[in-house]
Amino acid sequence: MRRALRVPWVPLLVATVVAGLVLSFSTRAFSNTFNIYSILQIAAVDAVVGLSQMVVLAIGDMSLAVGGMAGLVTVVVGYLYQVQHWPVGLAVLVGLVAGPVFGLVNGAIIARTGLSAFIVTLATGTAFTGVAYGVTSSIPYADVPSVLVRLGQGRAAFFPYLLVVALVASVLIGSILHWMPFGRALLAMGGSREAAVLSGLSRQQSTIIAHTLSGLLAGVAAVMYIGVLGTATPATGTDWLIVSFAVPIIGGTALAGGEAHAFGCLVAGVVLATINDALIVLNISTYAVEMAEGLLIFVAVFAGRLGQEAAGTQRPEYGHRGGHVGPRSSGQGAVAREPLDGAQVT
Amino acid sequence: MRVKAPSVKTSESFSIRDGSEPRSMSSAQGILVGRVRAVAARQGSLIGLVLLIAFTWTVFGLAGSGFLGSFNLYTVGQLAARDAVLGMAQALLIVIARMNLAVGSIGAICASLLGYMLVSMSVPLPLALITVLVVGVLAALVMGWVELRTKLSSFIVTLAFLSAYGGGALWVTKADQYEISSSALNWLGSGTFLISSLCPLVIVAVVCAVALWFVYNRTSLGWKMLSVGANTRAARASGVDVSRVVLWSYAISGLLLAVAAIMESSYELQVNAGVGSDWLLPSFIAPVLGGVALVGGDVTLGGILLAAVFYDSLQSGLTILNVPSYWLQFAQGLVLLVAVILNQLRHARQRRSRRPERAGAAPGGEEVAVA
Repeated sequence: MRRALRVPWVPLLVATVVAGLVLSFSTRAFSNTFNIYSILQIAAVDAVVGLSQMVVLAIGDMSLAVGGMAGLVTVVVGYLYQVQHWPVGLAVLVGLVAGPVFGLVNGAIIARTGLSAFIVTLATGTAFTGVAYGVTSSIPYADVPSVLVRLGQGRAAFFPYLLVVALVASVLIGSILHWMPFGRALLAMGGSREAAVLSGLSRQQSTIIAHTLSGLLAGVAAVMYIGVLGTATPATGTDWLIVSFAVPIIGGTALAGGEAHAFGCLVAGVVLATINDALIVLNISTYAVEMAEGLLIFVAVFAGRLGQEAAGTQRPEYGHRGGHVGPRSSGQGAVAREPLDGAQVT
Repeated sequence: MRVKAPSVKTSESFSIRDGSEPRSMSSAQGILVGRVRAVAARQGSLIGLVLLIAFTWTVFGLAGSGFLGSFNLYTVGQLAARDAVLGMAQALLIVIARMNLAVGSIGAICASLLGYMLVSMSVPLPLALITVLVVGVLAALVMGWVELRTKLSSFIVTLAFLSAYGGGALWVTKADQYEISSSALNWLGSGTFLISSLCPLVIVAVVCAVALWFVYNRTSLGWKMLSVGANTRAARASGVDVSRVVLWSYAISGLLLAVAAIMESSYELQVNAGVGSDWLLPSFIAPVLGGVALVGGDVTLGGILLAAVFYDSLQSGLTILNVPSYWLQFAQGLVLLVAVILNQLRHARQRRSRRPERAGAAPGGEEVAVA
């Protein structure tokens, strides 16, 4: 039980469930089956968007191109299906291959030039969105495979099928990061770059792998979103920037890298979708949602830090942080970092 | 008991010399030599930008009709003026090895506040302008204060404020549109100054650049900003009050964002909380293209002005050549990508020439053997 409480997303889940119960007593519009379904449907997409960012955060990088890659994958799928009349499976498959290719481009540029991921993905993300708009002249593909729509809008009572996709994605990504050698290498790289490099891991290789995985997940999110919307619009992903960061951070993933909580993304997706829904149900402006997201990022970062402080006083490391090769603050890495003015352990 | 928080990476996450050692500030002579070299390299990049602009103007002048006409040059100046001010606002934080993702949201607050005061409250123009400038400064100061108090990276702080401020502005104004009808503002944005192809906004941008040049080159505050960006620990060890310098940088950045919001309001004349939604990219393109080092500690205001002119010439040139507007965003991304890679090559060369003994430790070079 104590261990469960230390997992960053458990208190969050409890808080959401309690808030949901309170809401369902205060307004009848909240607890009906359809409303729960629509919350979980949005949550599923948000979770995969967050996973796409999380794999990059795991190595201590970031990607501002998640939305751009998703927009371009959407256009690829829409174009192949509607204009080229390819069968659904093949069009989606090509889309899911295109995603990792876009991610690979990001990773390769960052690894080759040594530039910060921020500025590179700002540029490539804009370029991807630009191509998506350019190719389609900003007109959505309205003819969307019915299989995707059935997947995106189908449900069993309150349970959207999309949630299965999100669950599978988070289990897979969680397993890769914590159990598979190349996934653990990513976490090691984020935990202590110098220690990882000294142990024989390649920083460039990790960068490329993480960004490629991120592209794949952005592609999955794009395909899911085609089903949700029922059209393939190039505008997909243009407003995913904040969500893509909010979801992993709220789910307990550290911005500094070395830590990843795949299941936390799922919980954070539910949290954001619930807040979104509650603000609408309670007749508060939808614009407040955007504001709430920003504030939640702060809350999450603070909660994460408090949790780490508590964990630090009890034991140096908790089970979830797999892949740590060496102590974080020793070695050459400390040289390049900022002094923390008394924030050090005394 | 306080513990070092692993998420604190004040300058590192935006640094291209991750993992390498901080720039050495051991000998005063070395710094001097470095600065002389930097100035020389800067002149080179300015000449390069002028040539680039001349090349674009020649190509577009020959290929598209009306590019060199006074109407088009007027528009280029009008847009470039705003982009230059945005670039300066971003550069102020890049110089201290930080970044501001909330440029557009502060712009949204300032523009909608200006609209609200002029239209709904009939506040006299000078008072409204002063209030907007003050609010811009305060909005940015809050971010600086939060960054210092929490010791989080500027990336995550300004990302959170991007959505908090942007959502707040939309929420408060309910996305209302304000039609400003001020003849003075109209002249500022759409009038002419001396010659028919010169928009008064260009003068505003140049004045801002000159003022900033003065700050960086003639005041101790400017030198402290540069030193904090070049090496925070060395600056702190030399007695620089880093927190104060950071707050000043945020404050001036906020002031410039308010100016940019006023500039955009002056030629749009219809403002809402959507102003600023497309500011992020130009705010980075102008400094990066102008040659401001992304690792901090270096600034070139002439470069920012010229880069803004080049960027908007390219935009308007592509429009004149009938390139569909849908492709413009692609062009923007491509320009930033090329600029950032060129910038990186230039600064890598500069660093190598400054300390040849560390040539092998250039970013990306160290792990090649390991792979």
